[in-house]
Amino acid sequence: MAISDRTEELHSSLSQILTTKQGKVAITAGPATVWILLLLLAPMIFMVIVSFLEVSRETYDIIFEPTLKNYQALFDSSLGFWESPFVKALLLSYGIAIISTILCLTLAFPLAYLLAKRGGQTFKVVIFLVLLPFFTMYLVRAYSWVLMFGQGGVLNSTLLSIGLISEPIELLNYGVFAIIVGLTHAYFPYMLLTLYASLDGIDFSLVDAARDLGASRVAVMKDHILPLTAPGIVGGSLFVFVPSVGAFITPRFLGQGKVQMIGILIEGRVNGGYAIGYASAASMFVLISIVAAMVLTFRYVSIEELGGG
Amino acid sequence: MATESQESRNTDETAHESHSGLLHFRTVERILSLSLNTTAVVLIGFLWIPLAIMIFLSFAENTTTIFPFEGFTLSNYAVTVSDGAMWNAVQGSLLIATVAASIATVLGVLASLALTRYAFKFKELYRTFGIIPMVIPGIVLGLSLRIYFQEILGILPGFMTVVLAHSLYGIPFVLLIVTARLYSFDESLEEAARDLGAGPLETFKDITLPVIAPAVGAGFLFAWIRSFEDYIRALFLSGPNTNVLTIWMFSKIKNLDAPELNVVSSLIVFGIAAALAIAMNFGNVSGYVAGTVTEEEEA
Repeated sequence: MAISDRTEELHSSLSQILTTKQGKVAITAGPATVWILLLLLAPMIFMVIVSFLEVSRETYDIIFEPTLKNYQALFDSSLGFWESPFVKALLLSYGIAIISTILCLTLAFPLAYLLAKRGGQTFKVVIFLVLLPFFTMYLVRAYSWVLMFGQGGVLNSTLLSIGLISEPIELLNYGVFAIIVGLTHAYFPYMLLTLYASLDGIDFSLVDAARDLGASRVAVMKDHILPLTAPGIVGGSLFVFVPSVGAFITPRFLGQGKVQMIGILIEGRVNGGYAIGYASAASMFVLISIVAAMVLTFRYVSIEELGGG
Repeated sequence: MATESQESRNTDETAHESHSGLLHFRTVERILSLSLNTTAVVLIGFLWIPLAIMIFLSFAENTTTIFPFEGFTLSNYAVTVSDGAMWNAVQGSLLIATVAASIATVLGVLASLALTRYAFKFKELYRTFGIIPMVIPGIVLGLSLRIYFQEILGILPGFMTVVLAHSLYGIPFVLLIVTARLYSFDESLEEAARDLGAGPLETFKDITLPVIAPAVGAGFLFAWIRSFEDYIRALFLSGPNTNVLTIWMFSKIKNLDAPELNVVSSLIVFGIAAALAIAMNFGNVSGYVAGTVTEEEEA
């Protein structure tokens, strides 16, 4: 049979290649390298180039002539540096991301501690209840908060009909508060699971021993538990902070046009007017800040510690 | 944190010798454990209340508010199930996720073998770049790929560009899970097989693959879910004729077309609940997740 001959041939030539060390590395590391070079590095490099080029407003063609216009456009505004849409959006995104990260951390720590300390059937049920929203589509979770917030949303209308309030509360309308709640809800499971993974390694009999020997709870927390979970805290914060900065869906729906975070700004410039030069320049700043956050993080935690288990 | 405030209240309780001290100690234990449990319940409520209300509304005559309650109905489900555009979108997303996750799994498993079994130049750089597609914000990855495909390669956005983007995005999830498994794998088994005359391909097929199969499956599942739920990359890389469920849902949310959205979203929660319950009975899902807690940057 021709086909089986062909497979036979392929098989033997593959085995031939796999006998040398270079052959092995080429076959295993090669394919992903091609993907990374062609679909990650090349597009990123081209985006950097585009951020220094101009795009024709009539034909949407790229004009290949170096310019700093895109970067000037980011910071220029009739009202000055601090009032330019880009600077405002970037600062707002950082602020919202930092608050969401702190909220996730303070909320997730007690639950992660409880999960790590107790095993058994309760653990399975709780972990199921946490994992289910985690695996549920991000868009679905964002939508569920669209229902809750708003002038006539579930929260306001329920409070109204119970009679607790006489007119809709502005805080429960779409806006910055709604976005912070939405982001906290969206990324809470990442924080929880990262913290749990690092708390799970703690030997709680040592904690009990320290307590028996007279250490106060605060001392045990400060001297034993916090240092041991520091990698989890740093890693979990990264997992909440980074996606929050570049978030798009949550600010789009829970801000309803009132809150311009950086993701909304970039998307708007591309899909309304194809201003890819401006958008590329803006993306550079998002990338740089995220790389900085990662470099800081990896001074304390290694990649394997975060991901390798 | 409730725990901390409770704790700070009794820094001075160190004398458990006396009777009253012991009583005090017990009360504090009880208050602490009670407050921890309360926090847990409140948090699970926070995670679940919006989803529960959404599921409740999918069965109700009301569409967006609970009061005044107008009664239960299944008509929302009937309307949604007969919506052809919705089914096209579901099919499109299933296909994209399956093809993209398959590519990501093959590339990710091969790369994991390279990282764990062989020494080569730029290995650490290779590992870092293998993780980056997961960490890079979706909006940046989507934008850069869109410009690249359109302006350099002349490929218009469509099915293929979404699949390529998602296959890249899926690699880190496979890589992290499979390398972890390979590191803990007893390499002498492979050596023994080779000593007994098995070629490198046979060794991989008969020895290595069966052992790492659960990890490979988990990696595929993660890459699949990430592709299926992605919106922002698909937004930049899909064309007008590409069917993507998240894009269909997005336009519905924009118009607050609640009846169908409530139903589709609830069906997704039910489906994932069933799949998760089955998976948790068969495998150590929480172990995989806790070990590979990763970036979402849905953005």
